[in-house]
Amino acid sequence: MTRSKEPGDLAAALAEARPTPHEDFVKELDQRVAAGFPRRSRTSGTPLSNLAGRLRGLSPQRLAFATGAGVVATIAVATVIVVSQAPSPQHPVLGGQAPLPNWRGVQFEAPSATEGSAQPSRPPSYGAALPSRSAVPESSASGAAATSGRAHRDIERSAEIELLADPADVADDSAAVFDAVHDAHGIVLHSTTRSGKRAGASFELLVPSARLGDALAAFSAIDEVRARHEATEDITASTASASEKLRDSRARIDGLLAQLSTAESDTEMNAIEAELGRERRHAASLRAQLDKLEQRTDFSRVSVKIETGEPSTDSGGGWGISDAFGDAGHILGIAAGVTLVGLAVIVPIALLCLLAWLAHRTWVRAQRRRALRGA
Amino acid sequence: MSEAAVASPGAQPRNAVDFERLYRSSRDDVYAYAAGLLRDRAAAEDVTAAAFERAYRKRTRFDAERGSARAWLFGIARNAALDELRRRGRQVELSTDPADATSAPGATESRSDLRLLIEGALGKLEARERELVALKFFAGLSNGEIARVVGISPSNVGTRLNRTMDKLREACDDAV
Repeated sequence: MTRSKEPGDLAAALAEARPTPHEDFVKELDQRVAAGFPRRSRTSGTPLSNLAGRLRGLSPQRLAFATGAGVVATIAVATVIVVSQAPSPQHPVLGGQAPLPNWRGVQFEAPSATEGSAQPSRPPSYGAALPSRSAVPESSASGAAATSGRAHRDIERSAEIELLADPADVADDSAAVFDAVHDAHGIVLHSTTRSGKRAGASFELLVPSARLGDALAAFSAIDEVRARHEATEDITASTASASEKLRDSRARIDGLLAQLSTAESDTEMNAIEAELGRERRHAASLRAQLDKLEQRTDFSRVSVKIETGEPSTDSGGGWGISDAFGDAGHILGIAAGVTLVGLAVIVPIALLCLLAWLAHRTWVRAQRRRALRGA
Repeated sequence: MSEAAVASPGAQPRNAVDFERLYRSSRDDVYAYAAGLLRDRAAAEDVTAAAFERAYRKRTRFDAERGSARAWLFGIARNAALDELRRRGRQVELSTDPADATSAPGATESRSDLRLLIEGALGKLEARERELVALKFFAGLSNGEIARVVGISPSNVGTRLNRTMDKLREACDDAV
């Protein structure tokens, strides 16, 4: 070859020296292209690498669509699982979880036997089901009461019952409430009756604790029970404390009386009498306090409300559009919760994966540049 | 290219590359580029096959607004070639292929000498320089396409090519 100083000569020489592929390779590659590059072995790589290879082959639109579909399907499945495991939406019927006012003490649900039907035939005897003042076993005592050494518990009980009635029946139902209170030897502390569109009634009652079960059964039989709550409070510690103080006060009175009988001077007598007067007043106060506590255990406070409104779904009413909206809102709320929880889990992981991917990509690019420089 | 039927990629998005046409027009160019850079025919075949397979699997992700299909394909081929270089970690001398001489019927002895001279001169270039030569004279890319593949400006491509050609010319002169 002559000296190739001219650019055209060198370019032509390069074109002459251009490498050409071997025919066998060309045929094989043509066949592979014609077959659409079949994967040589689906088991050649790890499942993860195979999956990554498949994902790399997807267009961004398809990848986004597949990811979105997967996320939606996951949320749907998780929502179905949560809905199936969670209690049904609380219609204001019997769930016993309506935010009714609680007078005092620990509130708990009414026995389940009364929750399953809107119109129970007759609830179990509450007098037997709930511990009375003398029948509460020691094992159920509170810690404070247990230390007092008392063999019985002083339990204050309260109940709330809400009845659903037709507006036309409010008057009759109110009369039935009065009758039931009378039969239970209870006291009506306060009552209100409304008529018209928003007809209804409310009663604040005191019912002997021994007859509370019968009274509640009677109230439940008046009309459809919409909600019922019962609460108990163990006031054994307060009662025991008041009793002991009263006992001590009486002992001190006895001691002062003994001192008074042996007093020798008027001054001493006057001082003892003054002290005796104070102690008697203190004893009277303690007695009144104890009486109040005993009254709280002897009588249970009962709130009866008669409300008018749409019949509950459980009582045979049809499933309406408002129920549909309620259920839809409930399900959407759960779906939103599931999504939120899922995002809380997925977003940090996705960020880590993104960072790892970016780091890997940067590293690969640097390695490629290094390979070109080092070659 | 042989007459073997090439699979139609099927329904393609609007932006998707016409893979069949791209393969037919670029197969030998990709091989020439890979062989020129790697100086190893077996490795060049592997890189060519890998490049077209990757391109086939990514064909729906081609964006015509970001450059020509050939530039896109050679970007893929370049990554495959650099991955091959990474794997080897060293440069393998270009193996002479007896079939090459017979693949060009009527080739004269002087053409074989010329080829050996050019190959020897290319071996004295750095890989980056050899890559530019391969892209320009073996693959037939324009300076703009080379710029997109390599990631530098077109004017820089021209400057580097001039320098590289000077070096190549000197290497040829030295060999003669």
